[in-house]
Amino acid sequence: MESPLSDRLAGLLGGNVVLPVSDIEIDDIVPQAVIRPTDRLQISELLLWAASEHISVMPRGGGTRLNLGNLPKSADVVLDLSAINQLVDYQPADMTATVEAGMTLSSFQERLAPGREFVPLESAEADRSTIGGILSVGASGPLSYTYGLPREWLIGISVIGTDGVATKSGGKVVKNVTGYDLNKLYTGSLGTLGIIVEATFKLLPINPHNGILLASFSELSSSVVASRTLLHSPAAPIGCLNVTYQISRRLQDSNLAASHNLGLLDEGTALFLAFYSGRPQATRRRLDEAEKTLLAKGANAVQRIEGPIARDTLRWITDIPTQICNDAALVMKASVQSKLAAKASAEFSTVTLFGEYPDQIADSGFGSIRLFWPKFGDLQSTHSMEPQPIIDTIQQVRQIVQHYDGSAVVEHCPVRVKSQIDIWGDYPDSLAIMQNIKKRFDPNGVLNPGRFLGGI
Amino acid sequence: MASEMEFSVFLKGLQRIVGEQNVVYHSDDLLVFEYDGSIDRRVPEAVVFPSNTREVSEVISLAYSVGIPVVGRGTGTGLSGGSVAPPGGIQIAFPRMNNILEVDTDNQIALVEPGVINLHLDTRVRKDNLRYAPDPSSQKACSLGGNIAENSGGPHCLAYGTTTNHVLGMEVVLEDGSIVNLGSLARETIGYDLRGVFTGSEGTFGIATKIAVRLLPVPEAVRTFLGIFPNVESACTAVSAIIEHGIVPAALEMIDALTIQAVQNVSDAGYPDDAGAVLLIELEGLNDEIIEIGHEVEAALWDTGATQVRTAEAAEERQKLWAGRNGALGALGSVAPNYFLVDGVVPRTQLARVLGEVTKISNKYDIPIANVFHAGDGNLHPCLLFDERQAGMLERVMEAGTAVLQVCVDAGGTLTGEHGVGLEKKEQMPLVYSDEDMAAMVMVRDAFAPNNTLNPGKIFPDGVKSIPQSQPTFPGMPA
Repeated sequence: MESPLSDRLAGLLGGNVVLPVSDIEIDDIVPQAVIRPTDRLQISELLLWAASEHISVMPRGGGTRLNLGNLPKSADVVLDLSAINQLVDYQPADMTATVEAGMTLSSFQERLAPGREFVPLESAEADRSTIGGILSVGASGPLSYTYGLPREWLIGISVIGTDGVATKSGGKVVKNVTGYDLNKLYTGSLGTLGIIVEATFKLLPINPHNGILLASFSELSSSVVASRTLLHSPAAPIGCLNVTYQISRRLQDSNLAASHNLGLLDEGTALFLAFYSGRPQATRRRLDEAEKTLLAKGANAVQRIEGPIARDTLRWITDIPTQICNDAALVMKASVQSKLAAKASAEFSTVTLFGEYPDQIADSGFGSIRLFWPKFGDLQSTHSMEPQPIIDTIQQVRQIVQHYDGSAVVEHCPVRVKSQIDIWGDYPDSLAIMQNIKKRFDPNGVLNPGRFLGGI
Repeated sequence: MASEMEFSVFLKGLQRIVGEQNVVYHSDDLLVFEYDGSIDRRVPEAVVFPSNTREVSEVISLAYSVGIPVVGRGTGTGLSGGSVAPPGGIQIAFPRMNNILEVDTDNQIALVEPGVINLHLDTRVRKDNLRYAPDPSSQKACSLGGNIAENSGGPHCLAYGTTTNHVLGMEVVLEDGSIVNLGSLARETIGYDLRGVFTGSEGTFGIATKIAVRLLPVPEAVRTFLGIFPNVESACTAVSAIIEHGIVPAALEMIDALTIQAVQNVSDAGYPDDAGAVLLIELEGLNDEIIEIGHEVEAALWDTGATQVRTAEAAEERQKLWAGRNGALGALGSVAPNYFLVDGVVPRTQLARVLGEVTKISNKYDIPIANVFHAGDGNLHPCLLFDERQAGMLERVMEAGTAVLQVCVDAGGTLTGEHGVGLEKKEQMPLVYSDEDMAAMVMVRDAFAPNNTLNPGKIFPDGVKSIPQSQPTFPGMPA
């Protein structure tokens, strides 16, 4: 499909960077043009032009989280960064690597593997998710108790601003207080301040051994309580998740489970997964002790898996939020102090939507709880859903997190709901500073306008 | 600057807010506030000791209303002139805001006031089998508010990251006196990561009045290794060998021959006279892995030419191995009355080469340079030893220091790993950052502090020289 804007961009940047728009939608909005630049200069030119023409630009990596955010004020041009995807520098002995934003996480890890190192970033759909996208949304995964958010590993960044000028912050060294740490500012900024084109990370050595302990509990809340005990013991895992029955059923129905005889679930039970990684001997000792702890804390049954299958299971569970999202009417991610995860999880479990209770993935170490409410029946598409019940459910969750001094972001909901809420939730009292930053970095509101909190 | 008349009205205002006894303004009393641990100095117009957030807010608000710049001061251990008063400015110091407000063992979080001493927090939480990981070498004296301002590091940051990786949230006072919360007690918050960009902003965005930090469990076992090497090159090879084994120790520190001599002059740390470098390695974790990895570390040390390897597990024995490292900077006083400590960082693979270049600079400028540093992080601490009383010496030292930084930057490194830019390195910022890079940084500062009245004149080059007229005494306890 051609549009006048596509033609103008072809004139500006060359026809080869202009792609058909047909397969991309952002909250049901079809952009007027999709650009896939092959060099950074084209990004500068695009942004400069967009600012002068008051055209909005939506950066896109692998497109896996493109619908995260409020309804855009406008979505004129999608800037696809997938062709800016080279490994720039990797010295294993430095334990750092520099990569362009469009490289996928999987490719990046593959490049690091010969050096027996990895970047401790986590994201669903690692073979599609790009480094730039992961940084922009601040993606995390099952091991965030230990690895935290991308902010902990990013040590240098190159960004192209809306004035077309490339700037950098940080560098290639693991310790750096030279100037302000803008790495932190860009990470999690949802592409609203500049286009990330290159990033340098601290790396870790790949551990020789992986293990997972699976434990079934009669209730999610007792699983969460047991996990807290485990986290405070010397046998603490590097990450852990508590999941409700429907989600554990998916694991049980997966090929993984069939080939490895994972069969410890009864109807109605919750599953706890604790992830271990390290030297074989120490890992096994941790698994042994964790097993005892969990059985003492009321686990119905415990099963452990080690080696490559543990790695595959971790990948499977990292991807699960995306899988479930497709069948969900509403997905929210709540963040609370970790010690409150059990209480919050118990309260969330009573919040219904269309009479259905939510499925949960609770990370009791990190303090995040993902909540999934299924679509009502199989027939109802998200488009025909009544917005009000969904809004009511969102409000109920927000009341709970407010009580716990946390936050709850709507990660997935019908577009009609988005037009009536701020998906980011209640604003922090520092919102004015955030708005000031946005105003200075993007005075014309070119980048992802309206998608971030408070109209940013 | 305000006229004398106006200033006396301002002083009265300060006294009304915090009480007469909590404002220092006599020139004799102010002398101890004119410097930090570096060589820059300037006497503040007054120093105020508030006791709570409201007082901090009122003091800043009052100063803002009359256009007097303000800088926060922890305990003055900084190493870049970060807390040295701006011209015509006052300092807010925090000896009265030194309470550990809460230790939440279940959450593994501590809530503290900015004046809490780093080591006091760590000592307190160890009762609950927890620790506060960032451990600047000045941790016996430095405050957490200062640690936030500088994003302080320390030996154990190799495994655990620097201050910024351990701060969850804070309450800060902005330049107009308004109070804002950044971050939260939850690990993840919505919006821009303001507590992240605030950490390390050297007091130019605001002043933290409450700080929530993450605590980590105390590991089951700790083992320290000390390797003695004939020269720095072989010790650097050992560093690479350990990393290549896929080992990230909790700490990996090196001291060179000149430092070893100085240490041995002062008290016997057990280093042989002909030692060319000493490597200190600390492993933490489960007993099983410490034993397994420990064997690999020992083998790597011998393989790369260590002439002696010692190891210790009991706390007291480990202290002895650390004694030489911890006393190193003090011991350098036996070589020369003054030092200038450079904080350059290089990629780990460049360590040996850059240290060679540093030796050349030492020879060229005829200034002895001792090296005591965080080898695992690539964070050098070349220490230029001199006597300030020699004519022109300070200028020569500064020139040599800049030459060292140039070498670090050329090797793919940067100006400062944990001490901050402050006054000391602001003119060197263009070695690393373009005008546009710095303009982006200033935009963030403008969003927090549009009038730039908090710690102005720091970080960014302005051509203003800050080398003192009067000379420093021997500074104490650097990181």
